[in-house]
This record gives sequence, C-alpha cells and structure tokens, in this order.
Amino acid sequence: MNESLNLLVALAMGLNLVALGSSRLPSLIRVVALQGMVLGLVPLVMEHEVRGMVVLVAVATVAMKGLVIPGLLRRAMRTANIDRDLFPLVGFLPSLLIGAAGTIGAVVLARWLPLLPEHHETLLVSGALASVFTGLLLLIGRSKAISQVCGYLVLENGIYLFGMLLLGSTPLLVEGGILLDLTVAVFVIGIIVDRIQRAFDTLDTRKLTVLRE
Amino acid sequence: MTLGGWIALALALLLGGGLAGLRLPRVWLGCTLGGTVALLVAAFTTLGVGVDWVWQSPWSLGGERVHLRLDGISAWFLTLVAVVGGTGAVYARGYWPDQAQPESAGRGRAWWSVLVLCMALVLLCSNGLHFLMAWEAFALAGFFLITLDRARRETRAAGWLYLGASHAGTLGLFAFFSMLAARTGSWELGPMRSATELAPLFWVALFGFGVKAGLFPLHIWLPSAHTNAPSHVSAILSGVAIKMGLYGLVRFSGWLPLPKGAGWVVLGLGVASALMGAAFALAQNDLKRLLAYCSVENMGVILIGLGAGLLGLADGGASWGRMAMAAALLHAWNHGLFKSLLFLGAGSVLHATGTREMSRLGGLWRAMPWTAGLFAFGAVAICALPPLNGFVSEWLLYLGLFESAAGHAPVAIVAAIIALGVTGALALAAFVKAGAVVFLGAGRTRATRDAHECGWWMRGSMLALAGLCALIGVMPLAPWFFITRSLASWEPGWSGIESPPPLATLGLLHLAVALAFVLAALALWRRAQAKGIRRELTWDCGYSAPSARMQYTGGSFAAIASGWFRWVLRPERQMRRPRGLFPAQSSRVERVPETVLERVLGPAGGVVMAASAWVRQRQRGHLPDYILYLVAGLVAVGALVLAGSWR
Amino acid sequence: MSAIVEFLVRLAVWLLLAPLLPGLINKVKAWVAGRRGPPVLQLYYDLARLWRKGVVLSTLASPGFVVGPAVAWVAVLGAALLLPLGPLGISLSFRGDVILLVYLLALARFCTTWAALETGSAFEGMGAAREVSYAVLTEAAVITAVLALSLRSGSVELGTMLASSAGTGSVLLAAGLFTVLLAENCRVPFDDPNTHLELTMIHEVMVLDHSGPPLAVVLHGAAMKLLLFAVLLVEAVLPFGEWSGLGGAVALIGGVALVGVGVGLVESWLARYAFKRVPLLLTTAFLLCLFALLVAWKGGWS
Repeated sequence: MNESLNLLVALAMGLNLVALGSSRLPSLIRVVALQGMVLGLVPLVMEHEVRGMVVLVAVATVAMKGLVIPGLLRRAMRTANIDRDLFPLVGFLPSLLIGAAGTIGAVVLARWLPLLPEHHETLLVSGALASVFTGLLLLIGRSKAISQVCGYLVLENGIYLFGMLLLGSTPLLVEGGILLDLTVAVFVIGIIVDRIQRAFDTLDTRKLTVLRE
Repeated sequence: MTLGGWIALALALLLGGGLAGLRLPRVWLGCTLGGTVALLVAAFTTLGVGVDWVWQSPWSLGGERVHLRLDGISAWFLTLVAVVGGTGAVYARGYWPDQAQPESAGRGRAWWSVLVLCMALVLLCSNGLHFLMAWEAFALAGFFLITLDRARRETRAAGWLYLGASHAGTLGLFAFFSMLAARTGSWELGPMRSATELAPLFWVALFGFGVKAGLFPLHIWLPSAHTNAPSHVSAILSGVAIKMGLYGLVRFSGWLPLPKGAGWVVLGLGVASALMGAAFALAQNDLKRLLAYCSVENMGVILIGLGAGLLGLADGGASWGRMAMAAALLHAWNHGLFKSLLFLGAGSVLHATGTREMSRLGGLWRAMPWTAGLFAFGAVAICALPPLNGFVSEWLLYLGLFESAAGHAPVAIVAAIIALGVTGALALAAFVKAGAVVFLGAGRTRATRDAHECGWWMRGSMLALAGLCALIGVMPLAPWFFITRSLASWEPGWSGIESPPPLATLGLLHLAVALAFVLAALALWRRAQAKGIRRELTWDCGYSAPSARMQYTGGSFAAIASGWFRWVLRPERQMRRPRGLFPAQSSRVERVPETVLERVLGPAGGVVMAASAWVRQRQRGHLPDYILYLVAGLVAVGALVLAGSWR
Repeated sequence: MSAIVEFLVRLAVWLLLAPLLPGLINKVKAWVAGRRGPPVLQLYYDLARLWRKGVVLSTLASPGFVVGPAVAWVAVLGAALLLPLGPLGISLSFRGDVILLVYLLALARFCTTWAALETGSAFEGMGAAREVSYAVLTEAAVITAVLALSLRSGSVELGTMLASSAGTGSVLLAAGLFTVLLAENCRVPFDDPNTHLELTMIHEVMVLDHSGPPLAVVLHGAAMKLLLFAVLLVEAVLPFGEWSGLGGAVALIGGVALVGVGVGLVESWLARYAFKRVPLLLTTAFLLCLFALLVAWKGGWS
C-alpha cells in the first residue's frame, strides 16, 4: 500500500517540477490536470478496503481536477484569445532549481516534523509541503492570470494532500469543502479573466499595476 | 654533506644571488640555480629519508633564538619554491634582460632571489616572531617584483592593492601569533594539538593565510597583481606564493587543535572559490587575468581536499581523509607546475605581441609553434585531463570524496563532488577559449603580425616545467611516496594506514594512453599525407571572403556559460547599435568587473570614507565645540559605567 | 593468452559494432516516417569511402587540426574499453576507473573543440561554444549519476557499480542518463544531425571543415561515444551481475538496441528545442540524476 501511495505522491512531486519548467500555457494546464488526476487516485490506495464512498470521492476528484477545471481554463484561454507563451517573472531555470531545492527541503522538513508514526513512512507530508511550495512559486513567478490559477491549483493539491492525513477521521468534509471552494474560485477567476480581457485587452497582471490608487 | 650544510649553502647562494643580481646577471643566475638545487636536495633528502632537520641558533634575533625546522610539510612546499624559483630565473634571463629593461632588470633579479630566499625562510622558521619577519619580507619582495614595471599606472595600482590586502592578512597573522604566544607563553611553534583552548585561533589563521592564498572572497588583490606583474613574477606568485598561504593552513591545522566545523568551513570556502574562480576565469578577456582567476579556482580545489582531510581527521575517516589530504598536497604541486608553465607561455605571447587582450590576438601558432604547443600542453594539464598530472591529483581528490560519501554521505560532500565536476567543465571551457583564441585561427589585429618565437632561455624553462607535468602524470607513484612522508608529519596517527590508491595502475594506463595518442596522431597524419593534402580557404559555409574579424571571439565563445553566472559576474555592457540604412560605426564593449572589489568593498569603503569626512567636519577648531565633545564623552562614559554597575 | 584474446574481442566489439547503432537509429526514423531509409550499414560505407579520400585543410589549420580528432578518438576508445561489457565483464578494474572514464570523455571534448577552433570559422566557433557550455550541465548530471551508482553499490569501481540494478531510483536514473545521452551525442532535441542549417547545430557544425580520413575518425569516434553511453545506460539500470553468458549478452544487445530505437523514436516525434530551452532540459536531466542519488542514498522511502 505504501509503495503505490509513495509512487503516486512522487509522481505528483515530479509533476510539480514539470509545471515549473513548462513554458507554454496549454502544457502547464495539462500538467496541472495530470497532477490532479494522480492525486485523485490517492484515496483509493490509502484505504485498506475500498468503500463505495471513497470511490465516489476519487471519481469526483479526478473528474473535477482532471477534466472540469482544466476544461474551464482551456475555454477561458480560448475565449480570451491570449498569447500562449508564459513570460516568467522568475526564469524557468532558476524556478526549476528553486523548486528542486524546495522539494528536497520538504522531504528533509517532513523527517523532522513530529508526525504520527504511520505518516513517517510515507511521502504524504513531503509531497504536500512541496506542492504548496511549488504553488506559491508559480503564483510569484508567473504573471498571467491563468497561470496564476494553475499556481492556485497546485497549491490546492498540496492542501488536499494534507487533507489526506485526516482521511481517517473527517474525510469528506474537508475534501468536499475544498473542492467547492475551488470550483467557485475557478468560476470567479474565469469571469474576471473574461472581463479583464474585454476591458484592457491584456491578461498580464504586470500591466494591471496602473490600476492601483 | 649534511642536511644542514645543504640548507646553509642554499641560503648563502640565494643571498649571494640577491647581492649579485643588480650588476652581474651570470653570477646571479648561477647563484640562484645553485641555491634552488641545494634546496631541492635538502627537501628531497628530508622527504626521502623521513628525518626532520632542526637547528637552533646560539644567538638570538629580536629577543628570540632562531629556530629552523625542515619536516615533511615544509619540505613538500620547499620543492615547489625551488623548482619554480629556478625555472623562473632561467626564464627571466630571456624575458626581462638588461637590454630590454635597462632600468628594472637588475632590481628584478635581486628581488627574485630575495623572494625565493624569504619563501624558503617562511617554510623553515619555527618561531612565531621570525615567521612573521620572513612573511613580511616575502610580502615586500613580492610587492617590489610586481611593480618592476612601475612606469605603468595600472601596475602601480595593482602593487598598492597587493600591498594593502597582504597587510590586512599580515595583521590577522600578527593577531594569530601574538595570541598564540600569549596563551602558550612562548613564540616557539610546534605540535600542540592537546591544548584544546587554542582551537578558536584557527579562524584567525584562516583569515590571515586565506588572504594570501587568494580564497574567494578574499582574492581581491590576486587578479590585478598577477595580471600586471612581469610574467615570470606572475608565475611564481601564482604557482608558489599563494601556496605559502596554503602552507600556513596545512601547517597550523596540523599543529593546532581544530575547532568544531573547521572542515566544513574550509570545504565550503573551497567550493565557493572553485566555482567562482572558474566562472570568473571563463568570462575574462585578458589572458593573464583569466589565468589569475584560474588560480582562485585551483586553490578552491586544493581547499576542498584540505577541508575533506580535516573532516576525516575529526570524524575518524582516516582512509578517505588521508586520500583527500594527499590530493590537496599533490594538487598544490601540480598547480604550481602547470600554472607557472601557462604564465610563462602567456609571457611569451605578451613578449611577442605586446598585448594580453585575447580579442587582439589569434593565429599565433604559426609564428610561435613551441609556445602554442606548450600552452596547449599546460591547458590539458590544468583542465585535469588524463594523462597529465592535473588529473592525478583530481582523481585522488574524487576518490577521497567518493569514499567519504560512501561512508555516511553528508550533503556537503555530495555538493562538493558535483561542484568539482562543474568546475572541471568550466575550466575546460575557459582553457579551450584561452588557447584557441590566442593561438588558433587567423590573427585578429596587427599585433599578431610581428610575433616571433621566444628564445631558448624561455623555451627551455617552459619545457622543463612541461616535462615535470608529464612525469608526474605517468609516474604518479613517485610523488605518492613523498606525500606519505609529508602526511606523516601532518598527522602522525595516519601513518600506519596503508591503503594506497591504485596509482601504479593509473600511471601505466596513462603511459599506454599517451603512447596510443602519439601513435594514432602519427598514423592519421601519415594517412592524410598519403592521400594528399590540399590547402584551401576555410569553408565558412560558402562565404567567399572570410576575414579575421569574423571569427568567434573569446567573449562570444564564453557567452552562453558566463551568462548563467551573470548574477555574480555583473558584466557591464556598452553598446552602440547600427542604425539606419548606412550605419555609422557601431560597437559593443563588455567588461567583467572585479565584483567583490568594485561592488562590495568599494561601496563599503565609500561609507567609511563618508563617515570619516563627517567626523572631520566636526573638527572645526572652535573651543566651545571641543568642550561640548568632552562633556558628551564624559556623559557617555558615565552612562557606560552606570549600565555596567546595574547589571 | 586468454586475456589477450579477450581484449581483442572487446576491441573488436567497440571498433566494429559501433557504427551499427546510428544505422539502426536512422532505420527507425525512416520506418516511422514511412520511408525505406538508408541501409543499416550505411555508416560503414561512408567510413570506408572517407578513409580512401584525400584531405582538404584550411589554410589556417595547424597540425592540431588532424591531431585533435585522433586524440579524441583514442580517448573515447580508451573510455569505452574501461566499461564492463555484459558477459565479457571488465578487463581492468581498479578503484576510481569511473573517474578516468568521465575525464577521458572530457579530454575528447577538449580535442574536438580545439580542432574546431583551428579554422577560424565563425560557425565552428559557435558549435564549440555550445559544446563546452552545455557540457557544464551534462558533466554535473554525469557526476551525479556516477555518485548515485557509487553510493548504492558502495564502490568506486565500474565493475561493481554496474553489476547490480539501480534499484528504486533506476527509472529516474535511466531518464536522466538517456537525456544526457541525447545531449552528449548531439541528438534531437538538443541538436539535429540531419539539418542543413549550420546555425542550429552543435556537433556537426564543429566538424564542418574536416574531410577525408580525419572526418572518418571523427564519425567513428562519435558512433563509439553513442554506443558507450548506450551501454552505460543499460548496465546502470539492469542487474548484469546476476546474468552471465548468453543471457547477459542477449540482455545487453537487446538493451542497447532498445536505446537505439528510443533515440530514433524521440527523433521522429520531437523537434529540436530552441537553444534557450536547452539548459532547462539539461537541468532536468541533472535533477533526475540528483533525485536518483537521493533515492540511492536513503535506500528508497518505503
């Protein structure tokens, strides 16, 4: 069980780095979708016996993170008709190296944290920390509104992994709440993106600084 | 003759050389060569037999008895002093003769002998007071040699910078030796590992010797001094003088107890010096400045070895610590040899063309085939490529680090190994750039047109150094024998361990590979000749009239890799773009500043100067002001006393 | 006596079989594109023809222009002879032979770039600049991979390091080494050996001015280097220490062929990367090796 869980989480950690190295919006969205799907499978391998409810959560997560949200983002990208190249504030190479350092740091940090013994064995906490770190890095380092949504998504994936630790006690509450939150966020951002595009003809948040008071 | 006799003879001959240098060049050369040979005999006797030589004077100098000691460590460095001191003297005969430099040639000869003498004394002195005296005289001799060509403004500036930085280091050493003397109650030096209260003094020594060794970021004086000095002086400064700093570190890490973390700090300094030195070297456009930065890199490599050795000492990793330490010592030798060779080669280029600017040179192999071949040889050696000596020491270092990593794999060791690999690749890029831009292709400016091969004095000394590089490459077992003797006096506890690395195998392979190189090259050349060689214009993708200015320059060659280090190199660019249909002159000038000096120390110095200027303004000569200062001072002292009593 | 025979067999394998691999790659590419493609033995024909041809030298070139390829060829061959060869095992094993291998390859690079700069051509300068610069990153990746193997096996000898499989991190290591293979041998996506646009090449543009026997040596050396990296990759990943005789031979040949097919497929499906993206890809290779190192170090997380 631990083997496959660790494999999934390690895959997600690798995808973090791929996301940091992606230079084009469609590939970034694809990577984030893939990560969402990979993490959606995590509840299936965590439970000893697979219950119907867990399967439902897994299916919902995969559908939401892997299909619906990326679909929304792609639609926003198409309708807003934006340039697909990402213009990074932090270069791809530095962000990749920082991301790798952060990932290693997360693994080291997770070994120090006072965790339950059963969590020490897994990569869950490391993966969660690394994803949160990567999400923040994407938020800081990429300027387009849609790539920032991708950053949020990676961040959320990290929080979702933290949530997995609680799967035993209050599973669906946590997860359902997060999913709901996120969908709303994506809708809101989709609408805002559309509005910004119509009003200013750009989605580059750097150019929106003139809006300050 | 006894060991003491040889040393006395050497010192006397060198002193004679110093006196004869001003007027009698032949006597000087004889004396200096004789002195260095005598030093070599003494050093190899000590290393070979393994017996220390100690001598104490019946009289005293400055209130202390002169105490000389030649043991494994000082003998190891003494060989380097002797070899480079001798070959450099031969080179100087052709490079800095009376006819060409009537004003400074005599001074140069005299100071040369004094420098060699003083370095030998630094290595021999076993009394803190006399060590400091010799150290100071050695620094001064260096200063006078750097400023031989003192008509040039740049040279004078470089000399002052060297003197200033050197004295900052000496200040550290003053503190070190006087604190040592105060705590032990005597200026006498010797093994005192058991006195654990002395451990913190290591940090002071690290600063003092680190400045001389040119460690990043204490290297500020090194590039300009090595660039502007006459080339044989650059050779001995870069090949030997900075090793005196290393000698200090090795010597006192062997005698004194070490503070916790000393190994880590030295290792970290080594990694930083190696990486930064290589990056800066790659970005330089001045041939000698490139070589100078490469010295920083190589000192970094040596320090990685020393750091790992100290770690081995602290962790009980005798086998790998010993290997890393041996690598550090051997690399000190090797770097002394090939760096001197390269500086002498650069000197020949400067001699023949009058410029060090690589973008003005090119195609020199035709006019100077010997220099070109020897420079290429040195470049292969310094890039640590088999089958030459540089590879032997780096291989030992890798072996030590790998074994250390296999033991318990601390992150720092892993990082050091990766950094070493990256440094090697960067150095390779830098030396392909240096060699190819200067010697290959077509001459870029008029400077290359009148180039001529250097004379036999210069060629001979370079050949001797190259021969030594090859010798260590194919016979690495010979230096290993001496290293074990040297290490026995550094850490006697390690002498029992015998797990010699497979150096004999490596030497045989080197020999085989070298033979194969020669055979393959000959065979291919003969095959090409048999099939007929036609000479045509360089193809250049069909361009019919390629000109020398269309060649890749050093700057463009290094652009990709040095671009990755832009965050520390901070190149300054001036660009005039071509504009319009018939563009007028356009240009692009790029300069890599001395980042630490110009961006860190310069502004810091500016702050100090501004503060001093402000203080000086307060000194207006008004009596009431002074009374105010007095009162303020009294109040401050009172407040201090009160604060003290409250606590 | 048997040692000499064994050495000759080893030499023959490297010298005679090396030009097969580029032929295989070209065949795969042709197959994917639906063409018949050149025969698998095409490189042998090319080499034979070049060896018989005369030489055209640039007026600027020094003897180093011919010496460089010869030395580089010997260096690659020397590095190759250090590798264990499946069931043949290793000819000469000593502590630190792997470092000699890495640095012999660096020597080959030194000679190739030195010879490239002989002619004073801007194009060759460009190629050489790219070669030495990207080598900084591949060197980091290679040293990290070597370190990973050494940590896992607790040895610095090629024979022991490559005997067992790379364990948990083998997927990471394989991906990293494969990327290094592509970069070091100037294949797509780093370089396109088939392009006719000199501005975008690395290796081919460095050898533009070579001709006749020296060019044959350059091409043969490049083929040997490709085979060397393929063998290294296969042996790093598969546990050759447990297989002997025929099984090992089959595994080695199959593995190398698989690598060749992989290179061909990559070349068919991917386009050459823009140069500013190349460092990113090489850093990825380095990171893959670094994570393989971490896995080897901690013995896996499970």
